[in-house]
Amino acid sequence: MPQSTVTCTTCYMCACRCGIKVHVENGRLRYIEGNRDHPVNRGVLCAKGSAGIMTAISPARLTAPLKRVGPRGSGGFERISWEEALAIVTSRLGAIRASDPNRLAFYTGRDQSQSLTSYFARMFGTVNYAAHGGFCSVNMAAAGLYSVGGSFWEFGEPDWEHARLFLLFGVAEDHDSNPIKLGLARLKARGAKIISVNPVRTGYSAIADEFVPITPGTDGLFVLAIIHCLLEAGKVDAEFLVRYTNAHHLVIDAPGEADDGLIARDAAGRELAFDRASGSLVDAHTVGTDPALLGEVALPDGRHARPAFALLAQRYGGPEYAPEAVADRCGIEAAAIRRIAAEIAEVAFNHPVVLDQPWTDTAGRRHATMTGRPVAMHAMRGISAHSNGFHACRAIHVLQMLLGAVDTPGSWRYKSPYPKPVPGGPPPGRSGGPGVPLDAPPLGFPVKPEELLVDEAGEALRLDGAFSWEAPLGIHGLMHMAIARAYEAGPDRVDTLLLFMANMAWNSAMNPGETTRMLGECDEFGKYRIPFVIVADAFASETVAYADLVLPDTTYLERYDCISLLDRPIGSAHGPADAIRVPVLRPDRDVRPFQDVLIELAGRLGLPGFTDDRGLPLYSSYADYMVRHERKPGVGPLAGFRGADGNAIGSGAPNPRQLESYARNGGFWAHELPAGQLYFKHANQAYLAGAKAMGLIEDDGQIVLQLYCETLQRFRLAAAGHGAHRPPHRLRARIREFFDPLPLWYVPLEEALSDRARFPLHAITQRPMAMYHSWGSHNAWLRQIMPQNRLYVHRDLAAGLGIRDEDWVWVRSRNGSVRCQVRTMSGVNRHTVWTWNAVGKRTGAWALRHDAPEFRRGFLLNHLISEYLPRSGGDTPGSNSDPVTGQAAWFDLTVSIEPCAADAAAETAPRMGANPLRIRPASEGTR
Amino acid sequence: MTMLPKSAPGARRLGLVIDLDTCVGCHACAVSCKEWNGGGEAGILPDYDKYGAEPDGVWLNRVHSYETEGEGCSRTVNFPRSCLHCEDALCVTVCPTGASYKRAEDGIVLVDTDICIGCKLCSWACPYGARELDEDEGVMRKCTLCVDRIYDESLPEAEREPACVASCPARARHFGDLADPKSEVSRLVEARGGLEPLAKLGYRPTNKYLPPRRTTIPVQPAKTREPSGRGIGAALLGLLDKALSR
Amino acid sequence: MNPAASVLLLTTATGFGYGLLAWIGACAALGSLPPARASMLVLAGVGIALLLASVGLAASMLHLGRKARAWRAFSQWRSSWLSREAVASVLAYPVAIAFAVTAARDGEGVWTRVLGLAALAVSLGTVLCTAMIYASLKPIRQWHNAHTAPDYLIYAIFSGAMLFALIRTVMAGAPGAVAGVAACAAAALALIAKWAYWRHVDAQTPLATLVEAIGLPAGTGAKPLDAPHFTENFVLREMGFVIARRHATRLRRIALLIGFVLPLAFSVLASVRLFPLAAATLAVVSAGLGLFIERWLFFAEATHVSALYYGRGI
Ligand SMILES: Nc1nc2c(c(=O)[nH]1)N[C@H]1C(S)=C(S)[C@@H](COP(=O)(O)OP(=O)(O)OC[C@H]3O[C@@H](n4cnc5c(=O)[nH]c(N)nc54)[C@H](O)[C@@H]3O)O[C@H]1N2
Ligand SMILES: Nc1nc2c(c(=O)[nH]1)N[C@H]1C(S)=C(S)[C@@H](COP(=O)(O)OP(=O)(O)OC[C@H]3O[C@@H](n4cnc5c(=O)[nH]c(N)nc54)[C@H](O)[C@@H]3O)O[C@H]1N2
Ligand code: SF4
Ligand code: SF4
Ligand code: SF4
Ligand code: SF4
Ligand code: SF4
Ligand SMILES: [Mo]
Repeated sequence: MPQSTVTCTTCYMCACRCGIKVHVENGRLRYIEGNRDHPVNRGVLCAKGSAGIMTAISPARLTAPLKRVGPRGSGGFERISWEEALAIVTSRLGAIRASDPNRLAFYTGRDQSQSLTSYFARMFGTVNYAAHGGFCSVNMAAAGLYSVGGSFWEFGEPDWEHARLFLLFGVAEDHDSNPIKLGLARLKARGAKIISVNPVRTGYSAIADEFVPITPGTDGLFVLAIIHCLLEAGKVDAEFLVRYTNAHHLVIDAPGEADDGLIARDAAGRELAFDRASGSLVDAHTVGTDPALLGEVALPDGRHARPAFALLAQRYGGPEYAPEAVADRCGIEAAAIRRIAAEIAEVAFNHPVVLDQPWTDTAGRRHATMTGRPVAMHAMRGISAHSNGFHACRAIHVLQMLLGAVDTPGSWRYKSPYPKPVPGGPPPGRSGGPGVPLDAPPLGFPVKPEELLVDEAGEALRLDGAFSWEAPLGIHGLMHMAIARAYEAGPDRVDTLLLFMANMAWNSAMNPGETTRMLGECDEFGKYRIPFVIVADAFASETVAYADLVLPDTTYLERYDCISLLDRPIGSAHGPADAIRVPVLRPDRDVRPFQDVLIELAGRLGLPGFTDDRGLPLYSSYADYMVRHERKPGVGPLAGFRGADGNAIGSGAPNPRQLESYARNGGFWAHELPAGQLYFKHANQAYLAGAKAMGLIEDDGQIVLQLYCETLQRFRLAAAGHGAHRPPHRLRARIREFFDPLPLWYVPLEEALSDRARFPLHAITQRPMAMYHSWGSHNAWLRQIMPQNRLYVHRDLAAGLGIRDEDWVWVRSRNGSVRCQVRTMSGVNRHTVWTWNAVGKRTGAWALRHDAPEFRRGFLLNHLISEYLPRSGGDTPGSNSDPVTGQAAWFDLTVSIEPCAADAAAETAPRMGANPLRIRPASEGTR
Repeated sequence: MTMLPKSAPGARRLGLVIDLDTCVGCHACAVSCKEWNGGGEAGILPDYDKYGAEPDGVWLNRVHSYETEGEGCSRTVNFPRSCLHCEDALCVTVCPTGASYKRAEDGIVLVDTDICIGCKLCSWACPYGARELDEDEGVMRKCTLCVDRIYDESLPEAEREPACVASCPARARHFGDLADPKSEVSRLVEARGGLEPLAKLGYRPTNKYLPPRRTTIPVQPAKTREPSGRGIGAALLGLLDKALSR
Repeated sequence: MNPAASVLLLTTATGFGYGLLAWIGACAALGSLPPARASMLVLAGVGIALLLASVGLAASMLHLGRKARAWRAFSQWRSSWLSREAVASVLAYPVAIAFAVTAARDGEGVWTRVLGLAALAVSLGTVLCTAMIYASLKPIRQWHNAHTAPDYLIYAIFSGAMLFALIRTVMAGAPGAVAGVAACAAAALALIAKWAYWRHVDAQTPLATLVEAIGLPAGTGAKPLDAPHFTENFVLREMGFVIARRHATRLRRIALLIGFVLPLAFSVLASVRLFPLAAATLAVVSAGLGLFIERWLFFAEATHVSALYYGRGI
């Protein structure tokens, strides 16, 4: 009779946060299954999740703290004790904090403890903190939060129950891996139509009813052409616009003046609209008015203004946005664009979803039913990973607003804790000098130039340039620039790089060859240009080899974690929810949960928030912190089972038995909103009041959707020379161009600067469903499914170049060449080649044998990408990012391909030197 | 006994119905199958060269993807392949030892690995490539339809389904009794025109595949109109003439 | 199909063994054993036949994943040709031995005739079972056809005839009329049978298309995009074996020449008493070699429907 236990916890084979039940038999991990009660995955489990039992026994797991011996990057390490490791970090960080806290650069990747890590950074006093969002999906987050107070990405979801038409823009997998699959199945079951706009027809696109093989980087144009058609046909929801958006707000038309393009306000600072009923200017928020959406009106001061919608209609009604004008660029026939527009209009306006569910809006109007437009949209990195992604994403949100398809039945919906008042939070925190915390969290939401983090010259205060004129809305930081900029800036600005759960020397590096060179380079005195690198990782990744000090983490089955409302929770449109991870296995190695380590360090460093007034540590562990930490009174990492009796939700006193309650509840907490609060959350009185009571938002007023993004105009005015805070000259033209308050389409920056005659093809990547970035290749099961990747090329394109399946080809970009193997297909845009992301590995990494296919035949497209744009003129090259948000523009890459010489080695190139970890036992003196 | 059982009247025919219209090719079913059978009573499924040059192992379910061409059916089709628990299972009758057998009560085709001599003949007899030799144990392995789950009284009713069905995130896998015309699976097969791979070989597979569909929305798109100089369609002007109420 | 040495050895060796036993049994039954040396011939023949059969059966053991359990293979004779082969091949021993003993005791007695007939039956029966193992496999068009079973019998009779002639030559200095003519005829017949087989399989169309393999309606075309895994797995190793056309045709010529034409020629030489011993020996040797190559091709050229799923031609 085997001794077996079942524990409910949260999967972490990827960031989707599914609930799992872990079966342990006689201390051996036996089986992992989906938790059927869990709101995220409802019992299903993906390939990665099931393969978790092999990750738990992976030979790549780190086993003890390591100190570098030999040159950085050589892989030579010495085993040390935790005490020694912690002592090293404490003294180093202590010194930094006492002099210039910003000399600690703390970057975290795929973790789900950003509320802890950013709190640490804030209390430590460094602005140089970011999580992976900057190279991930900040375009989606920023465009969404600055437009609708929520976003695609992880903050929104389609109404799977009611949508009748679903448009999926550039998604292969997304963070909602299982929920999206479950949702697609529901749409299919209900016979809803799925349109996938994507250059590649695999995965979700494979099962779409219509596949639109768009040319990369042109979605904005495609969407604006759809808007053109809707305007032409008069298919917009005017009622929705005036009630829930700023479409009727009057925009000052005073070219050259300091407030040109801003919204006209009355003395009280309230936005103005023109009421056609009274024929007068009124507070735009006044209920019952008949606001003009077109025309021009005179303001009291005699200047003129026009409703935001009028500007929009004029721009997108123009011939340059007609389907016929964009068809070639987008690689989509004009007729198809018109048909899709017509289908959208048909479903939105002729088949509304009516739920007889009364509700009351923020204007106090009682509605007998909830009526919605069953056109749902979801978009991710196909939009996001381009340097025009912010505006492309804005265009989609604007389309949603025009249709009245924001958080209505059948449309896209907010996931709790969203919506939040635009833009979603306070401006980024500022340094207070040595030993002083930041005055706000390091990542914030600037809305005017004076809130940027720049010096007198207007140059970036942050290492990565976020919140500077290079990326004013860089609300997630520019992680892809961190190493390059630390290298440029030199030791005076950066002393220690602390990298947590990010493989920044490999698959999240643009140009890994250059990145590792920078990490390894010394000055003339043999001192490293980046003085000290600490890597906190669980496995022998490529980056671990470049650490001076390695802090070995546990695996996800060996520690406490919390998936918090303060970070990236598991809430859904049905209500707020969060979850925990609990240790199921006892580590068989000398490793510690990084969160515990961080809290221990914070204690040793005496950071406020982590220590009491006598400087003694407040928390004994992360589990302890999860229960007792309060960000503001009553609000802590976990929202469920709060209060002394454990019955308070969202806000309430810490509950010492909280973790037991979570464990008893299957490892999660989920609050079901009443039916009357499920839609129109941005203007739903009951919802907003409830959300405020739960501590999800501070203010329960209506969240006005920003059809017209005035914030952008403020930065643009500064670039036009207005106000005290202006961009440096080299960036003015760029800010003027890209900070357009209405969605804009432009050729992606890198593409525009590259020689299209030499590099006529687009090159992109996709997430393989059975691999998570770089961390699946050490899993004995997952690597059987994908031990290498190939370059997928359209059959006709390949035929034209005389390339056949399995042939080896050279892929060339301005930044280098990669040799890889080809697979031909027909379901791909003819001018696009693509591959699976992060499958190729550096020889020696991940404890794989030297002749593993991951090394010999797998490849990274990243070698072809540069973190810098091509130089245009003499000035320093800009970063390869979106000019508004700093989002890494992974998919702007353009390439050429050519067959390899017949005698060329059947092996990938470049192959960087092998540097497997060589760990020698602890030397004398270290316990 | 490797004579095929006379399926008694009223006997069940348990099997899978796999929906090619919703299968996204995520491999979840394949891995959960490997996981369940890799550690379950059904025995260990081996892996060879786990971290080396030729990673390989025994899988009872593998997911292919294909591109189909043709009028209105050009698309990518993901195709999970496992034992179809055929009615005329040649893999059973060729077995010299009786290790390979088909159950009379529910039609499940199994291998008794305590008897199997690993002669491979059954794998030669299977047109679907659904049997894989365990080269460590020298015995044949195949899909068990999770007999060790579907009849496990200790599991809650709802969980008595194959691991691959429970895990499928796209709900593309359905399990049930295909002998019962009223069962959910039979209805699906009926309604969606369930298909039998390699039907002409006459194995009469119990498992069925549901073909891809294509949903459309009938519309007559507006003809190209001369966009009025002011960029606003007459229709829009008309619409916005109506009074609004904020 | 993967041409595993063990299986090739099994089928060729048993072919020779049971073929020889068949001949001797037949002659005994017909009473056409050379009066003087009847018992000697039977003893020698049966001895050699059983030796070869044993070599074959030993080889077949190598092919098993669980040798210790081989005995279980006798149980399913009611449905499985492999089981029947096992039973028959083992049955052959007592019959053959009884046959030999009786022949040794009372020469061409009636019992010798009866047991000769039995030996003939059981040996051809065993060969037939072997043949049916392949002939009954529907997924393999090159095996599942009207040629496989007769061909196996013909090759057994042919290879047996070669041996029979050699033994006669060793004992009598020449094959003698019966064995001589028989050898030539058998060789000729085998030659024609093989040629006819190849003509037949070359004219066959594949059993199915990829579209049928994934069950989609006809009228659709399908191309493989991604396989479930990158490295070769059991199904591909066992059933996805591919051999280059050019390579195959070359081997076919060689097999035809060494396996059939030469043995025929040598048999003629032996029969007309030109270097009979050398000729008869060469006939056996080249028939053995040739049949081994022929058997290799029989597997290597055989395609399995399941390979379709991996986009391999069948
Ligand atoms: N299995 C698995 N799941 C994951 C991850 C993983 O590694 N593996 N990673 C997680 C992470 S960190 C993230 S950020 C998400 C990302 O999830 P996704 O948003 O799905 O990101 P990608 O897989 O990069 O897919 C981008 C898609 O956009 C398409 N595309 C590229 N350029 C364009 C374009 O210009 N227009 C359009 N319309 N489409 C385009 C590509 O073909 C691809 O299908 O996935 C998360 N989930
Ligand atoms: N070409 C191209 N490049 C891309 C992308 C693309 O689409 N195309 N996508 C970009 C995007 S969106 C992202 S998010 C990045 C992702 O790139 P990274 O952030 O580098 O993500 P991973 O590859 O997941 O590496 C994370 C690290 O976490 C470690 N790890 C895994 N589990 C644990 C754990 O429990 N504890 C600790 N401490 N460490 C752990 C792994 O060993 C690995 O070293 O890649 C970016 N790079
Ligand atoms: S999607 Fe898969 S890997 Fe990610 S959390 Fe869910 S089960 Fe785990
Ligand atoms: S789990 Fe479901 S969707 Fe994924 S491959 Fe298997 S059948 Fe297809
Ligand atoms: S699919 Fe293959 S193994 Fe399964 S029953 Fe049919 S023939 Fe036998
Ligand atoms: S391998 Fe096992 S199950 Fe298959 S035929 Fe041989 S003995 Fe039977
Ligand atoms: S039914 Fe069970 S054994 Fe068969 S494929 Fe599914 S999980 Fe594997
Ligand atoms: Mo990401």
